[in-house]
Amino acid sequence: MSESLPKAADVVVVGGGVVGAAVARQTAKDGLKTVLLEAKAFGGAVSGASLACLGTHMHNIEELPILLEACALWQSLSEELGDSFEYNRSGQLRFILKPEDVAIAERWIAGERAAGLAPELLSPKEAQEVEPLLTGPIHAATWAPDSATVNPFLAVRALLADGKRAGVMAFAETPVERLLLDGDRITGVRTSRGDISAGHIVLAAGPWSARVARSIGLTVPIVARQAQCLASVRLPPSIRRVIGACESAGGVESGYTQIQQAASGQILFNTVMAPQQTPAGAEDRINEVPRRFVRDSIAMLTTLFPSLANILMLRSWVRFEGVTPDDRFMAGRLQDGLLIAAGDNGTGFTRALFLAQLISRAARAATDARDGFYNPLRFAGGKP
Amino acid sequence: MNARLLTCDVLVVGAGPAGLAAAAAARESGADVICIDLFARAGGQYTMQPAASDSPFHAAPQVRQGREAIAHCQALGVRMLLETEIFWAEPGFVIFAHQKGEAITVRAKTVVAATGGMERPIPFEGWTLPGVISAGAAQRLVKANGTRPGQNIVLAGTGPFLFAVADTFAKAEISLRAYVERQKPGIGTIDLFISHPSRLGEALGLLRSLRATGAHRYTGHGIIAALGKERVEAVRIAPLGQNGLPDKSRAFTIDNVDCLCVGHGFQPVIDFTSLLKAAHRHDDALGGWYCVTDARTQATDVAGLFAAGETAGIGGFRPARLSGRLAGLHAAQAAGRPLPHFGIDKLHRDMIQARAFAARLARLFPFPAHIADALPDHELVCRCEDVSRAQIKAAIADGASDVFSVKMWTRAGMGPCQGRVCGSGLAHLVASALGKPAAEAGYNRPHMPLRPVPLAAAEAALALADLPHGVET
Repeated sequence: MSESLPKAADVVVVGGGVVGAAVARQTAKDGLKTVLLEAKAFGGAVSGASLACLGTHMHNIEELPILLEACALWQSLSEELGDSFEYNRSGQLRFILKPEDVAIAERWIAGERAAGLAPELLSPKEAQEVEPLLTGPIHAATWAPDSATVNPFLAVRALLADGKRAGVMAFAETPVERLLLDGDRITGVRTSRGDISAGHIVLAAGPWSARVARSIGLTVPIVARQAQCLASVRLPPSIRRVIGACESAGGVESGYTQIQQAASGQILFNTVMAPQQTPAGAEDRINEVPRRFVRDSIAMLTTLFPSLANILMLRSWVRFEGVTPDDRFMAGRLQDGLLIAAGDNGTGFTRALFLAQLISRAARAATDARDGFYNPLRFAGGKP
Repeated sequence: MNARLLTCDVLVVGAGPAGLAAAAAARESGADVICIDLFARAGGQYTMQPAASDSPFHAAPQVRQGREAIAHCQALGVRMLLETEIFWAEPGFVIFAHQKGEAITVRAKTVVAATGGMERPIPFEGWTLPGVISAGAAQRLVKANGTRPGQNIVLAGTGPFLFAVADTFAKAEISLRAYVERQKPGIGTIDLFISHPSRLGEALGLLRSLRATGAHRYTGHGIIAALGKERVEAVRIAPLGQNGLPDKSRAFTIDNVDCLCVGHGFQPVIDFTSLLKAAHRHDDALGGWYCVTDARTQATDVAGLFAAGETAGIGGFRPARLSGRLAGLHAAQAAGRPLPHFGIDKLHRDMIQARAFAARLARLFPFPAHIADALPDHELVCRCEDVSRAQIKAAIADGASDVFSVKMWTRAGMGPCQGRVCGSGLAHLVASALGKPAAEAGYNRPHMPLRPVPLAAAEAALALADLPHGVET
């Protein structure tokens, strides 16, 4: 890209994934002069690797009102932008393999129903009516009809294009080397291509957010966690819904599965049965999927969908999620002139549009009662 | 699912001229050698072996050289695994493959990558019409399968390989309508053969073959378009203008064509060496991205991994055979076998000389990537995923900054060929739109699986790697 960087802006967003693209679009729409900086390619890190499921099911009961609004924002965005990113309200099925996990599913369902949602517990036969090729030996399943998916690449592209129409100046291949400081106030960024001064810097760089913050000695407790996925060649329509595992306590590391068929026809599938180590600095290297992961993912897919046992695998990828100590986003004001929207825990798509509004409010010194849920200072006793 | 776990000292990937030379050399050093190839018959492209026993090609010198190299490997006890596709490799080395529905995992002390070259296609108007095929595919059809690719054939593009394909047509007594070469013979050609007089006889033989095909020869001409409704019916060509693109004001049409064979050169197959994280560099005279090797040992920068032949830069048969032998000897040494006391220096000298000839020859036929600049917007660039040039332009306008981001936003290169066909054209189009060199626009980095693999075969091959060492199944 040959155009030169502006010298000053109201807002500089660091990171061009789904969160950064959504934030930049929102601040520009709200009248702020916005620059979006991406170290490599827009949506090329974990956003592009995401299975981009938008939903309320089995996230966090306390967060449900926000999630409901966050999901509704995606639906209206799809309508507004003319279905440009394959928004598909497919619904989500979470399979249960062991009888003892039924109680966990029932607790989630009760909590979500109390919030006005309509998840259900299904028998294997009922699950098969919802997902005909799911003939594997499941014990039961939960069904959340409100879940949707988007094409992660096209969603970032659409947010970026819409943001540019609102005035966002976006630059790929422009890594931020450090934050610039005047006393305690953050005043700008130094990039590989020059400095930009700004009223607000927004860290939306996923697992790289902590490193940018460290350039001024600020500790942000976000670490990188490896995530990976496999994809088949294009196939005729075979899987209709998002298929997930009903997780026992312990989240991702106790056995995580997500399977779905993209609009292209490719089946995307991943299963993590055992905790994986993410070595320091792995997010800066080219990584290959772990052998164990490939075996577990194939075994889970073909156990649940025996008729897919002979399909061809075409592709694999590894990316890195940003994870906070409590698996919840950090979003809001970190310090004078410095905002953050990072710590996706692998679920950045669902919350991206809501967080974009939250950050834009913060940049305009506006407030909303729900913003405290993601308070970025919660790990430091309220102090930066 | 049948599954086999094999162990060896030296695994050679590819059974073309370089791979066969490497396998034989390593075996002669006393190493236990396995050689894997995708095709049903060893030999690669240059020394390709015909399927039929009564093929007229059995007497051809290239076929004889291949036959002898294969027989030599068999006599030495090289274990050949043909029709075997590698889908993954781990450092150390564990190689995962499948062969006709059977999973195969190989543990090797050292590896020689002799993965060869592949054609370097450039998109042009009409390039996806049925009847338009690559020059290499045409040669394989005629030579290996005895199939005539058409009745009225035009051979077009650039480079010495077109001569080799014309030679194949001549030996099969297939006539050609036209031969279209971008370059005109000039002072450079004369200089080359003054420096390498031993190669003149071969060149004159190829020229005689081209005459024997009856082709009308158009040198200094380039393809504008393949024309036709359901399939190719005509080819439009023109003399090249100052900018190296065909001068449309002097264009004319060759009618009644049912097959257009196009070749613009080769690129190294580097998916396997990339997966093992060897260093690669870009040099147009070597076919683009190639695996960096030490010229004497053919060692890459990954301990125990050697690369030979086209993988280490396009150079043709002679450098392939010589570098294969050097790689085989040093791979065997790295696996604990003695290096011969004599002969290495001469091999090395011969290889340097053969590479020098190849490099000068390559400079006479530069890769014309800029042909893609003339591609109409509606024409496809990625034919697996039906991505047009207009879609690629739109992605760049939206902020795509390299081949990878264009791929994410258009699916160009995401299909079953995994970018092998569209990669070179796509890199050029993205680079020229962004004003970057093609090397900087990036290439399609390979990941597991290198080629589409059945789930059951992948699972079975990966499971074998968990067995204790010292086991063979």
